[in-house]
Amino acid sequence: MILTQKTLKPVLAARMLHMSAVKVLERPAPEPTVTSSFGRFISEVTPQHLSQVVLNRSKRMVLDNIGVGLIGTTTDVFQLALEHCQHMYGPDGVSSVYGRKGTRLSPTLAAFVNGVATHSMDFDDTWHPATHPSGAVLPALLALSDMMPINKPTGLDFLLAFNVGIEIQGRLLRFSNEARNIPKRFHPPTVVGPMGSAAACARLLSLNESQCSHALAIAASLSGAPMANAATQSKPLHIANAARLGLEAALLASRGLEASPLVLDDTPGVAGFSAFYEDYAPQRLEMPSENSKFLLEMQDMGFKRFPAHLGMHWVADAAASINKLLVGAGAGSVLPEHEARHSFQFNACTALLDGEVTVQSFTPAAIKRPNLHALLNCVRVENPNDNLANFNVMYGEVQVTLRGGDILTGRCDTFYGHWRNPLTNESLRKKFRSNASTVLPPEQVERLIDDVENLDQMEDCTPILSKLH
Amino acid sequence: MDFDDTWHPATHPSGAVLPSLLALAEALPRKPSGLELLLAFNVGIEVQGRLLRFSREAHNIPERFHPPSVVGVMGSAAASAKLLSLSALQCSHALAVAASSAGAPLANTATQTKPLHIGNATRRGLEAAQLVQLGLKGNPAILDMDYGFGIYYKDYNPSAMPDCADGGFDWALEKQDVAFKRIPAHLGMHWVADAALAARAKIEAVRSFESSEIRKITLRVPPSKYINCPLPTSQHQARHSFQFNACSALLDNNLTVDSFNNTQINRKDLKELLSKVKMETPEDNKPNFEKMYGAVELETNDGQRYAARCNTFYGHWRKPLRQEDLIQKFKSNASTVLTSEGVDGIVDVIENIENEKDCASLFSYLKMENQQKV
Repeated sequence: MILTQKTLKPVLAARMLHMSAVKVLERPAPEPTVTSSFGRFISEVTPQHLSQVVLNRSKRMVLDNIGVGLIGTTTDVFQLALEHCQHMYGPDGVSSVYGRKGTRLSPTLAAFVNGVATHSMDFDDTWHPATHPSGAVLPALLALSDMMPINKPTGLDFLLAFNVGIEIQGRLLRFSNEARNIPKRFHPPTVVGPMGSAAACARLLSLNESQCSHALAIAASLSGAPMANAATQSKPLHIANAARLGLEAALLASRGLEASPLVLDDTPGVAGFSAFYEDYAPQRLEMPSENSKFLLEMQDMGFKRFPAHLGMHWVADAAASINKLLVGAGAGSVLPEHEARHSFQFNACTALLDGEVTVQSFTPAAIKRPNLHALLNCVRVENPNDNLANFNVMYGEVQVTLRGGDILTGRCDTFYGHWRNPLTNESLRKKFRSNASTVLPPEQVERLIDDVENLDQMEDCTPILSKLH
Repeated sequence: MDFDDTWHPATHPSGAVLPSLLALAEALPRKPSGLELLLAFNVGIEVQGRLLRFSREAHNIPERFHPPSVVGVMGSAAASAKLLSLSALQCSHALAVAASSAGAPLANTATQTKPLHIGNATRRGLEAAQLVQLGLKGNPAILDMDYGFGIYYKDYNPSAMPDCADGGFDWALEKQDVAFKRIPAHLGMHWVADAALAARAKIEAVRSFESSEIRKITLRVPPSKYINCPLPTSQHQARHSFQFNACSALLDNNLTVDSFNNTQINRKDLKELLSKVKMETPEDNKPNFEKMYGAVELETNDGQRYAARCNTFYGHWRKPLRQEDLIQKFKSNASTVLTSEGVDGIVDVIENIENEKDCASLFSYLKMENQQKV
């Protein structure tokens, strides 16, 4: 096959074009790329583009994400990550760490440890197509806000940047059909998370269109981690690194680092962001308008009621509706906490036994319970053809056969907390109080709730930062 | 500068390993000996070579992920884990944690961000080992699973590492040397550069060379989009352009570090030559560093043709740089920032590194900054 390259002729003729009143010669503008449209969106979107629905939904996300971050500081993996940052890096006390009053780290490391906390219990929000959007963005924005010297962002600037980070992730996930199903290769927060974080930080830094586009491109080189680590102790680092590296990408772009101007476009023979997907069909991003809204307006967020993989919520709700005890004996093997959070069987049996699944269900003592293991020994899992691996259409069904022969069935199509059946504000605040009060005094917890509620009115978002520890 | 070594299957192995080992060695309370450092280095190289052999896709010039970002971070984690003397299980976890830091898309090569691919590979591999040392765990079957390390390849077929028997170990480096670059550009450029120089020599055997007398330049190269750049506008693009490297070599009868700076890139007579280039990708020219060739055919205004072909450029593993040329390259590079004492000192230490007690001298030589930098 012979590939002929056209020889290039300098286009000098253009300089001699005359425009007459009668005939205006139009040279068509070069086709805008997908990548440049994203850069333009990030740099040009303003708070006026945020509707009330988007403002309300995103404030709920901010509150929930802070809460899960705070309780996440009680985990071993958070402690490990914090120790690593304190010992292996020089002191650079700039940005706050959730729940740790005397501790400050450099901005990217603060984003990292807060991100670890946020995802440490698999308690943070989930969207469709599947990812955990807020955890990849909020820690980075908080760290960046701490870093900005004098002109602290207003609450509305902060919320705008946050929504940019969410929107970019949602848009990217729609570039591939593969993204709609429960992932099998790349863990989605590691693919779109760094991009969302880079976008949000670029927005907060008020980078220009070109810098915003380069921030995304730089972040693409920091994206991608395998699903195999998703049910291990390393999983929280996926969100943590997304936040941290997206921030790093934006900071590098602000200093002038450049990368591919076509990273989001589909270039045969040279993969950009398309490298992470089998099928890839990118679309340009338009500024929000009457006809084109923020995705969050059209698709709400799912919040978890207990700290486990989203899929667990269906079987837990199905099982909770059958709350009878099965008497049995025998010891089972002990499941590591991370595996318990990703086990349909574990969550179903816990709900059968206790009537609900909570934060406490995953403590070592709870995991080891002999009566729980007796139930686990009786579990059989089926994958019916009509139950698709997709958070928008899946269901959970639990069928319990009692000793006497009676069969009890519970089914859940939409768990409470799913975007189709969202948590009420009261439930969301209850979750926040329960989480935040593990590390903060109650008055501070209440003030945080108020501050986030009023975030869009605040002249300066930093009072929130001082209440996080 | 795209000046670091290249291997087959393709990656830049040393750049992903050496910086993390040097950083770690300086930080360790008990300094490693030269032999320990060299062993850790070779572990990092070997792991990369082994991983690249898990996929047929890896044998060709890449199209999706930039290989140093895939195997480089694994090599760095392995080397760092070795230097830290982690247990066998910890070493597996280091690889697992590192896998979550792998994979950057090819689109960012030929840009200013490319060097960060190696930078991040080496840094994040080191971090993986450090986190594991603190107790972090990943998936210990990371290399076995399709949804583990396998996600970076379309075809993935892992095989177990053979045991280290008393008799020794079959290192990949023993069977397959690396290529060192003479030109700070993508490896593929070396073939066309050598072919262009040979074609020019053919002209000069019978007449004097005038670039204005060249009517047409035909390049025959393997198909690869990211190194096909008809008119580069940046240093990074120039290092990834068959066209640029051929024309630059033709024009100057040479291709050096300075050929890629902005003034050189923007020269009028160079752009003249570039406008005369026609690219062909013959069927028999495979996008594979073991099999490819570069051919240049020049046609002058009076209709004469002068052609040359390069199958194996000087510096390729089939035709390795002689030791004196390798040292010459090192001295030329290092003396831009180090004093001659530092430069010569490093050459001596590395020559003898397996006998060094603690490499302290290496680190002091590395710090001997030449105050009057060029």
